[in-house]
Amino acid sequence: MQTKNILEAVEVNKSYPGVQALDAVDFDLRYGEVQALVGQNGAGKSTFIEIIAGSIKPDSGKITLEGEEYTHLDPSASIEIGIQTVHQENQLVEELSVAENIYLYNLPKTRFGFVKLATCIEAAEALFEELGIDIPAGTKLTELTPVQKKLISIAKAFSRKARILILDEPTAALDTKGKGILFEIVRRYTQKGLSVIYISHHLGEIFEICDRVTIFKDGRRINTHTVKETDMNTIVQEMIGKSTMSLITRSSIEGLDSVTETLEIHDYHREGLVEHVSFSVRKGEIFGIGGLVGAGRTELARMIFGLDEKDSGSLMYCGSDVTPSDPHDAIGKGIGLLTEDRKDNGLVIIRPIFENVSLVRFAKSRGEFMNLTRERVETENISKQLSVITPSISQLVVNLSGGNQQKVVLAKWLYAEAEILIFDEPTVGIDVGSKSEIYALMDDLARRGKIIIMISSDDPELISVCDRVGIMRLGRLVAILDGDEITEENILKYSMGVGQKD
Amino acid sequence: MKIKAFTKEGRGKRINQSTMLIIMIVVVAIVATIVNPRFLRITNIINIFQQISVLGIVACGVGMLLVSGHIDISVGAQVSLIGIILAGIIQHAGGIAPDAPNAWLQPLAIPLAFIVSFAVGFVMGIINGIVVIKSRVTSFIITLGFGSVYKGIALLVSGGASYMLFGRFEWLGRSRLLNYIPVPILFFLSAVLLTHVILKYLRYGRFLYAIGGNRKAAYVSGINTDRVILQAYVVCGLLNALAALILISRVGSALATTGEAYALDALASVIVGGVAITGGKGNALSFFLGVVLIGLLGNALIIMNVNPYVRDVVIGTIIIAAVTVSHLTGERT
Repeated sequence: MQTKNILEAVEVNKSYPGVQALDAVDFDLRYGEVQALVGQNGAGKSTFIEIIAGSIKPDSGKITLEGEEYTHLDPSASIEIGIQTVHQENQLVEELSVAENIYLYNLPKTRFGFVKLATCIEAAEALFEELGIDIPAGTKLTELTPVQKKLISIAKAFSRKARILILDEPTAALDTKGKGILFEIVRRYTQKGLSVIYISHHLGEIFEICDRVTIFKDGRRINTHTVKETDMNTIVQEMIGKSTMSLITRSSIEGLDSVTETLEIHDYHREGLVEHVSFSVRKGEIFGIGGLVGAGRTELARMIFGLDEKDSGSLMYCGSDVTPSDPHDAIGKGIGLLTEDRKDNGLVIIRPIFENVSLVRFAKSRGEFMNLTRERVETENISKQLSVITPSISQLVVNLSGGNQQKVVLAKWLYAEAEILIFDEPTVGIDVGSKSEIYALMDDLARRGKIIIMISSDDPELISVCDRVGIMRLGRLVAILDGDEITEENILKYSMGVGQKD
Repeated sequence: MKIKAFTKEGRGKRINQSTMLIIMIVVVAIVATIVNPRFLRITNIINIFQQISVLGIVACGVGMLLVSGHIDISVGAQVSLIGIILAGIIQHAGGIAPDAPNAWLQPLAIPLAFIVSFAVGFVMGIINGIVVIKSRVTSFIITLGFGSVYKGIALLVSGGASYMLFGRFEWLGRSRLLNYIPVPILFFLSAVLLTHVILKYLRYGRFLYAIGGNRKAAYVSGINTDRVILQAYVVCGLLNALAALILISRVGSALATTGEAYALDALASVIVGGVAITGGKGNALSFFLGVVLIGLLGNALIIMNVNPYVRDVVIGTIIIAAVTVSHLTGERT
């Protein structure tokens, strides 16, 4: 590693309506170094690398690449300079061969415009040999494992001149062996002068492979450390920063500790997704589940609700078995799931509010004829109770704001008289006002004796709303935090496996 | 899904689909009357409704399916096959054919034809529904395939020949209530009314809208989506049986292609009526108006002495226009 910089960014700004995504960010990358970029969701890492890759135009600031100054880049210019990005999601064409995928940007062709597949495969095999990857280049992509696909994405970046390699969560899809291959490639090429920007939630990897680490928070660059001179605790502290204000401070209901009516989640397991998770929630309690995206939290919720297959798992409520076989069964047993993606599977957005609110109730009831007058009155009442803001409950749900849509989802489950409510990321994409209203509603529901499980990636939210917080990591429930233990620091540490073995 | 179309700006421009249809129906009626004043005679109006009755009954089944986001393009072949079977029964059991069995069976021929027709419609509905649900392939493709199968069976059974009924089974298609209103119209209006009740007042209808609007959300909300869809195919099959009975009775003979045109005409009617092709929209009134418009056009063109082959061109154009206009004004998603 040299001390000369290949990339320098000075005072880069980028704002979106209502958000300062990047706030005067300075950044430098040396020749031959691996620099980690860390920060919580929404810290600005993605925006920053998109600017370097040329797919987002900054509002202001300048970027210097090998001495050349730019106000902004575009994707082709960025690739021309030698900036290669390996995205978290593979950008490969499933129906083509490995070799064609790698050279898709410039396939060798005959005079008549046919692809010279043999030439292409030869080139790909030479590249794989060089990188130490053992995958037949003629194979169709559909036949490969996710690990192999990730390695192909990485190889693709090396098929063109790469001076700066951006790796966005590369190990999320890699197994131990794949990770070994990647780290070996990174070590070998950085010695030849390649520079790497490495984004990862797994802090352990940073100490394994990176030279320096830069911490982002709320669109600002907080600090840059030489990895050898820092430790995980410092990094975690800086990622959290000063604790953000909490929207509500909720106190547990009186005598929660002596409540004996509980919901027991027992040994939920699905190979590769959720690993033998057990915990219990008391009546009147809000139990939070924290962890990184992909830790198996949504999968667990869907399994509990009977939406997804499971290898094992049973649900006991006040001593009786209520394990649902499918959503209809779950609803009959008083369980409700407020899904993560409202538009995808929570609401029928092209139908009116009242139809959405009454849907579960009708699915649960037996009578075939609907009492439309009663439906009208009752859905109107419950919408008012939850202060859904709309001129009329005949309004289509698609016309509502995110916060109001979420209230409609909640209204639907309350109207169906659900006793056990699972909220999956209830406040994503919701304005601050509606957020605190939803917290207040959850608090009220808990006081009325409901059992609430809330999955959230918003750590301050977990802290201010939940009585206890379980942390999931790689499918396992690694810790249950109670009382004073519920801190951002603890949530982050357990989520990332700091101080534990991977 | 185009959310933009639902912004306040879009809503202002949106024309109510039913209003638009009524306007179009009135325009066609006025033009036809100017060209040929006989158009507006009450006998012609009744004639039109009698002509569209069979299409209307088929369209109710197709429309309810489309509300749930599913298509059945095999309805034409279903009507043909049921027609062949029921005409065959009447011919053979009813003593028309030379190999007719004993006389005691003759009075039972028509009741038997009824039972078998509904049974066949029921079975075809079940088969279509199960394969669509289990295969997870787009319903259009599956029912296109089944349409070919049913047509082939109809051809095989009939050997390509027509079954004549020689006036044996006329009352359903040709008699008139109080010597005035044709019976088929009564069945058509009953089917529309039944559809209205299902879609508006039964939770089953609500489930159809929910599934058409967002099948995943409907499932998470506790609706047995597979069962609801299967039932919709069965209802469609039963309505096809009713349509076939009326049609064969009115025409007095059955061919393997008798019902063919109903597949596209029924789909066209409900789409022109304003049912989104992706589901979740539309109601019995919209099916009714769509059928009336399509039927009216056919009659108007004939009465205006236009080459009958022009009808298909006009109907095709109207489908494209109706869908495009309402898409641009944000009626559909």
